[in-house]
Amino acid sequence: MPTLVGVFEQPAKVAEAAKRLRDRGYAELQVYSPVPSHELDHVIDEKPSRVRVWTLVGGLLGVTAGYALTIWMSTNWKLVVGGKPWASIPPYTIIAFELTILLGGLATLLGLLVVGKLPRFRPDPAYHPRFSAEDFGLVVSCEERDVAEVDGLLRAHQAKEVNLVEG
Amino acid sequence: MTPPPATSVAAMMRPLPAAEDSRSNRDILAVMGRPTLGYVALLLLVVSAVAWALGTFVYQTYVGLGVAGYSHPIFWGVYIVTFVFWVGIAHAGTLISAILYLFRAKWRNAINRSAEAMTVFAVATAGLFPLIHLGRVFKFYWLLPYPNQRALWVNFKSPLLWDVFAVSTYATISTVFLYVGLIPDIAIARDRSTGWRKALYSVLALGWQGTSPQWKAHNRTVLHLSGLATPLVLSVHSVVSWDFAASIVPGWHATIFAPYFVAGAIFSGFAMVLTVMIPVRRIYGLERYITDYHFENMTRFILLTSLIVGYAYGVEYFIAWYSGVEAERTSFWLRAFGPYWLSAWIMITCNAFVPQVFWFKRLRTHIPTIFVVSVLINVGMWFERYVIIVTSLSREYNPAVWGQYTPSWVELSILAGSFAWFSMFFLIFLKIFPVIAINEVKELEIHEKEHPGGEYWEHGHTYEEVH
Repeated sequence: MPTLVGVFEQPAKVAEAAKRLRDRGYAELQVYSPVPSHELDHVIDEKPSRVRVWTLVGGLLGVTAGYALTIWMSTNWKLVVGGKPWASIPPYTIIAFELTILLGGLATLLGLLVVGKLPRFRPDPAYHPRFSAEDFGLVVSCEERDVAEVDGLLRAHQAKEVNLVEG
Repeated sequence: MTPPPATSVAAMMRPLPAAEDSRSNRDILAVMGRPTLGYVALLLLVVSAVAWALGTFVYQTYVGLGVAGYSHPIFWGVYIVTFVFWVGIAHAGTLISAILYLFRAKWRNAINRSAEAMTVFAVATAGLFPLIHLGRVFKFYWLLPYPNQRALWVNFKSPLLWDVFAVSTYATISTVFLYVGLIPDIAIARDRSTGWRKALYSVLALGWQGTSPQWKAHNRTVLHLSGLATPLVLSVHSVVSWDFAASIVPGWHATIFAPYFVAGAIFSGFAMVLTVMIPVRRIYGLERYITDYHFENMTRFILLTSLIVGYAYGVEYFIAWYSGVEAERTSFWLRAFGPYWLSAWIMITCNAFVPQVFWFKRLRTHIPTIFVVSVLINVGMWFERYVIIVTSLSREYNPAVWGQYTPSWVELSILAGSFAWFSMFFLIFLKIFPVIAINEVKELEIHEKEHPGGEYWEHGHTYEEVH
């Protein structure tokens, strides 16, 4: 299946072109962007990022682990230290708090890798170093017979250049 | 209509020629270019200082902690002072990258990378000191809850153990934060390099291509890490302060310690960012990205936190008097007028009085003044911890066990080595990773290109004004 890459200068134009293409029934789209852009956030995927689930689960694991670890370890020697009960919740809260942050943060990193589909060992055929300079790319996969139409649509939205990538 | 031209993949994957690159990429990646003679000389100097400190540490480990200046009743000296000092320095990075991120303060974009890197290196420096202070460093794993035959776990009610968890969590999360922010910038460097650099960046960039799902996940990740790091940064120095406040030593046993330490940490952290970034900006010509406006904003933070720190000094004295506790009163009287009076007055002068010059706009925007003040603050903040730790321990309840402490050459060598160790990491970082967050600066530039004359910077500064 041929793949076309439209090169744009403005993220707003990419978003418009992507919307138009999607309306015309081209579902296989991808966007390359040198910077994060709110205009492009919802072009490919409407739903909010699922990284949030990772953070939540990691944080909950951390807080549970923190209390479980400290209380369970205290059961081995039920020592009274400083007149506090052998399992004393206020100081253990500090450990639980730190582990919440630690596991929450590490899970968020994992979430980034899973949701962002990283690491990728091979660059996409359509990727070009210019997309880490100032250009935006809109990648469209389409049937052979639609190449001319897609090309026209991309240019109609001010793509300054359209390339065909044999993928 | 004719089909568009086909492009071969191999041709596309060649590094982008500099002429076609964006200005921010070129300017910031240029910092990573061939090192100058001055750079190499400085690196050699700091590496030798680290080697010297390492040698003295080996000597201390071999003959024992007696070669440190410790003597009864002062068994916390330069090592613990320096530990607290570097943990404090580590706070600015997270403040700038996490808290200012949550507040949407866009001016952080130019300085957050260097501040985050400093955070990681400062924690890496601080983390050494509890181990250096151990004496029998090979028993360091006793700090961790590890399974053992006696089923004996660590004491979770001890502030020193909270410290282990707080500092190691901080080291991990600040490293993650730095790395996540770096991924898109490493990809920029990857697309423009060859040889070993290309190989290194290809691995570290994880195949980042800036697709919209990747950016979306990245934005979320930065937001969540900021949300997690904000309470973390406040907790770390609070926990460090409880190492002291949870004891009953006069001069330590104060409820104000946590906010006092956190404010002091931000104060010293900003000063260190200025001390490092003023020369870096000048040497590498980064005035287009790090403007005087950024430095001025940091001086405002310094002024604010200096007032908080000065207030805390006052409150400490007031409470010592107001409590009516003889030992507290004596401890604080001797702090200012006893054998350690010089340290106490260096601390008060550098931290509470000198930063007041920043009330004046002329001085706040005068780079040499900012630099000198930032160095003085670093000195003052080291002495603050020295005063808190050493004077308090030297004058506890019973005058019969009062004592004196003088740092030994071993301690001073390791103190100097810690500055060299920090500088060594920062110098290497300068040459391997972009010292300014390119993608964040570029985001502002592209936004400005689309909406000219818009709110590029806050406080009415336009794009033209700051560039």
